[in-house]
Amino acid sequence: MNNTAASPMSAATSSSGRSTGKSISFTAELQSMMFSLGDARRPLHETAVLVEDVVHTQLINLLQQAAEVSQLRGARVISAEDLLFLMRKDKKKLRRLLKYMFFRDYKSKIVKGIDEDDLLEDKLSGSNNVNKRQKIAQDFLNSIDQTGELLAMFEDDEIDEVKQERMERAERQTRVMDSAQYAEFCESRHLSFSKKGSKFRDWLDCGSMEIKPNVVAMEILAYLAYETVAQLVDLALLVRQDMVTKAGDPFSHAISATFIQYHNSAESTAACGVEAHSDAIQPSHIREAVRRYGHKIGPLSPFTSAYRRNGMAFLAC
Amino acid sequence: MASAPHTPPTQPQLHSRWLFPPFPTSQLPTVSPSPMEEETYLELYLDQCSTQDALTPSRSPLLSPAVPYDVDMLTSSNPETAFNPQLEEVTETYGSFSAVDLSLLPDELSQENKDQTVIRSKNEIEENCKNQSWQTRLPLSSRMDTGLALNSSSGSSSHSRLHPADGNSAQSSPEKPHSLPLASITPMTPMAPISECSGIVPQLQNIVSTVNLACKLDLKKIALHAKNAEYNPKRFAAVIMRIREPRTTALIFSSGKMVCTGAKSEEQSRLAARKYARVVQKLGFPARFLDFTIQNMVASCDVRFPISLEGLVLTHQQFSSYEPELFPGLIYRMVKPRIVLLIFVSGKVVLTGAKKRSDIYEAFENIYPILKGFKKA
Repeated sequence: MNNTAASPMSAATSSSGRSTGKSISFTAELQSMMFSLGDARRPLHETAVLVEDVVHTQLINLLQQAAEVSQLRGARVISAEDLLFLMRKDKKKLRRLLKYMFFRDYKSKIVKGIDEDDLLEDKLSGSNNVNKRQKIAQDFLNSIDQTGELLAMFEDDEIDEVKQERMERAERQTRVMDSAQYAEFCESRHLSFSKKGSKFRDWLDCGSMEIKPNVVAMEILAYLAYETVAQLVDLALLVRQDMVTKAGDPFSHAISATFIQYHNSAESTAACGVEAHSDAIQPSHIREAVRRYGHKIGPLSPFTSAYRRNGMAFLAC
Repeated sequence: MASAPHTPPTQPQLHSRWLFPPFPTSQLPTVSPSPMEEETYLELYLDQCSTQDALTPSRSPLLSPAVPYDVDMLTSSNPETAFNPQLEEVTETYGSFSAVDLSLLPDELSQENKDQTVIRSKNEIEENCKNQSWQTRLPLSSRMDTGLALNSSSGSSSHSRLHPADGNSAQSSPEKPHSLPLASITPMTPMAPISECSGIVPQLQNIVSTVNLACKLDLKKIALHAKNAEYNPKRFAAVIMRIREPRTTALIFSSGKMVCTGAKSEEQSRLAARKYARVVQKLGFPARFLDFTIQNMVASCDVRFPISLEGLVLTHQQFSSYEPELFPGLIYRMVKPRIVLLIFVSGKVVLTGAKKRSDIYEAFENIYPILKGFKKA
């Protein structure tokens, strides 16, 4: 799989050249999304721009890889199976995706039962739609599963720690809100890429691709985009937490040099008179988070670069 | 009504009933039902009195669901419309309600309050129930004159409708005040409504039912001759027929099976299904009306306070799913009864998946204290 080894920083510089011509921007939506995921009440515009770049680059890369996979199997559209195939390595994220797909099926089943018009519509459209996403996922994983561990995920009932942490964070965030603020928070939680289907498609420039994704694949892509933003916010919050040197922290001397450099650059901009919002996530946090995520640390890391995939580490899969 | 201290009609009558309960351990909550139901509930209460007098005055009779006074009953037309047509149908026994009541009993309440709670919770569940199980306990005995003021004037019509053979109630009212066993009764002060009971009744929005007409049907013929019928065999293999009263839609299949949706009560659904069956009959098919079953009931209500869904999904993880990007409501899968509730931030609750009305009421009573715990200040 050939990839341009595009790290977000270089992508930022290159796409900023492109972005002047790019008319579609999700910055405002991203700001709301970041608020709903744990950022401050008014996330910084610069942070949102950076996040948008990161997500965009990663999704474009993902799409390209998916297109290659579907070409490999001779299909004419990018379908859910290709994306599931790309995600096969990371069990936890794959499980989260599967749960999302099942929830989508379940929700449409329930909502259909409530409104009689919906019921008729569904019957008229030739109902093979019940649990269609679940069927797709099950069939596909069945076909690629060699060791049985993928299929075991369907019965798996482990708690998803990342999701748990996100829920707890949301609960902590909302505990102190009054009902007006809470209403705003809920509104911003409803935002997603799947609601802006056509804008999302254009943003990813699907029109100019040879092999286009189908409906279910677009749903999954929207979900992956949202997951990327969520992961970025999670990691950035961790980074920010690390930056605060706690008294008595035995490892404060071991903070990496690049880390401190970013921290200092943030401070220097503040010294230059730019008002840095103390609560909001700074672009430096995001950059550090991506750097850490992509940085493979391990006992064999000096020797594995030849085998390592030459590409960015996908946050969503 | 010459009952001395607390004379006049409807509501104060009920207060008087409190003050002179037939036995020391029973408490009656404040109620304000519409006059008609009031009488029926009255019947029930008196019925209970009669049975309880027969038993030793212990706690247990209170658990027998015979006191369906409405607590804070909202002036909804639903109960009345649901009530009347179903007078003839006795579908459920008491047993199920006792089970429900016990599960709602909070432990820390005092005995008094406990009784009230029991009664009140029963009321909540039963007030609109279609099962007229109390009718099995008719006729009322002569123990009517146990100290209750009857509003016979306003209730006589309903009396006659419900209990044609029972003239006791009307007769005993004048003499009632005089036979009050005052000495043995300690006057109780009116109780404030207990917070555990919601006082909210979910309103039915949609009922889906099926019935078997038990004969093969020629859908083309039906579509051609019936008014308000659609048939597009390429899209869907059934005739879609609609009637205006009750406003419903039916899917009629060539096998003779029919699905009826859109009714707002069980009776309406049955009535609509019969109307569709009659239409089919008039077209010349030997339609029957077999196995009418309610498949799904949907109800909705409003608890009228904002709810913290994040907190709810965290504490009730095994029952709830909440993905705000996909759907603004939290989906709560209650195990007993097996009902799915959609809970929204605004406080609106939609209940679905029920086959019986009592399931809906039970589910709502179960969820209400939970929701109150997550009330967003």
